[in-house]
Amino acid sequence: MKILIPLKQVPDSTVRVKVAPDGKAIVTEGITWSISPYDEYAIEMALERKDADPTTVVAVVTVGPARSRDALRQALAMGCDEASLVTADVTGPLVIARALAKVVEETKPDLVLCGKQASDDDQGFVGPALAELLGWPHVATITKVLPIEGGVELWREVEGGHEVWKAPLPALATVHKSEKEPRYPSLPGIMKAKKKDIPERPMTALGVDASGPTWTILAMEPPPARGGGKILKDGDAKQIAEQLATALRDEAKVL
Amino acid sequence: MKTLVVAERKGSDLRRITLELAAKARELGDATFVEIAGERYSPLPFVSALAKRVESGKPDLVLLGATLNGRDLGARLAARLGRAYAADVTAIRAAGNALEADKPMYAGKVRAKVRLDLPAVVTVRPGSIPLQSGAEAPEVEKIDADASAEKLTFVKLAATATDAKRVSLSEARVVVSGGRGLKGPENWHLVEELADALGGAVGASRAVTDAGWRPNEEQVGQTGKTVTPDLYVALGISGAIQHLAGITSSKVIVAVNKDPDADIFKIADYGVVADVFEFVPAFTDAVKKARSS
Repeated sequence: MKILIPLKQVPDSTVRVKVAPDGKAIVTEGITWSISPYDEYAIEMALERKDADPTTVVAVVTVGPARSRDALRQALAMGCDEASLVTADVTGPLVIARALAKVVEETKPDLVLCGKQASDDDQGFVGPALAELLGWPHVATITKVLPIEGGVELWREVEGGHEVWKAPLPALATVHKSEKEPRYPSLPGIMKAKKKDIPERPMTALGVDASGPTWTILAMEPPPARGGGKILKDGDAKQIAEQLATALRDEAKVL
Repeated sequence: MKTLVVAERKGSDLRRITLELAAKARELGDATFVEIAGERYSPLPFVSALAKRVESGKPDLVLLGATLNGRDLGARLAARLGRAYAADVTAIRAAGNALEADKPMYAGKVRAKVRLDLPAVVTVRPGSIPLQSGAEAPEVEKIDADASAEKLTFVKLAATATDAKRVSLSEARVVVSGGRGLKGPENWHLVEELADALGGAVGASRAVTDAGWRPNEEQVGQTGKTVTPDLYVALGISGAIQHLAGITSSKVIVAVNKDPDADIFKIADYGVVADVFEFVPAFTDAVKKARSS
């Protein structure tokens, strides 16, 4: 089985994101970039399939800026077999989905796994949009994939449990979480990844339609500062508990 | 503006988010409501039915709740129709021939104001639009999911042992979450009893779900759920940046932690430096008393 994971490079989740002086973007100088967390889960999920069946081929692709090469290299170091980069400047999400659809048509994976959303714009658009452009079925926010006769079984987390769906191949799923935490690259993995070629081409070479709806960012700001809260400390546990309950009822009016 | 709201139900009742969307759609102008009837959500039959309805009614704006299913349906619908799309916004305003939305980005670490061309599809975060009491219940038109579009087969529902009577985490008005300070899953009754006294949902920090003490679906924060309750109570949670990002839109935050330097206190409205095992039972009793008097 061949599994393709489109991944996005985003600011690492530990980065304290700052808004740039123009108020329309974030400060990118000096920040640590990583594979978007849900894409990492998708990689781990695919690599778990490869652990179970070594004939599995796991490929990753990014449509994005040239710096994304580091994220692809990281995916190779985790154990992915192939990586490729389609360079594109800032572009609309539908155009990215179209470019990915081209890559899918060329590489012919059986299964495409997308993180359920990238942790920069938090849109969650590209996965379902890619399935739509390909005319494939998809299952959203899965936590498990199992190969079965005639397709795959996809487990989807819902309120109160998991729905289990059977999908014929090829199919696409967006990933909420893998069963295990994403693995760290091993030293041999890092060495091997260094030697691997990551082919690169500009998006214009794919001949995709670059029109489509987009959005304009008018302004960005940090969330309103919180704080200046009260620390309740007078009395024993019972007295403080009563003060807190009363404050929540009468002052904050949330009880 | 002509708006089509996609309604969702939990059991036989409309979800609170649907009422919130109704309030906003009416404010924007002409509002109609549609519900897709099918045994359970599946992307292709739902998108197919909804896309037909949108093509015939030609609303400027399709509004969905940023729920598990709403976010998925909204994205695929926007792709099918080639409409502009924004997910999980916390406010929308008409702006001439366009739409302006407040859109949390970077897992809540940034708030962006974005302009979308119309026609558009937008999903709205539950709890972001205030509800007025006495608002008229929306009249919801039912359309059937298009079973002929289905390519998947439903196999089964594997239930987890979570409490079905509790409200869902993303929509709850009160959330009580536990962290590593609870020391083990055997102590979760403390979290649950307080949540019950407050009529709220139960959440957990990532450390707790990673350790397998609680199911993944209860994880609050980045890579878990973003919550916007009126009251968020953090018990024994130190407050990693990823956790804080997921709760910062809560109206009131209460933190209970043994460590006075815990980061959670920096964003808390009320903090108690105490041992959860000593404080929480007393607080649960005090809440019961305060709510009954």
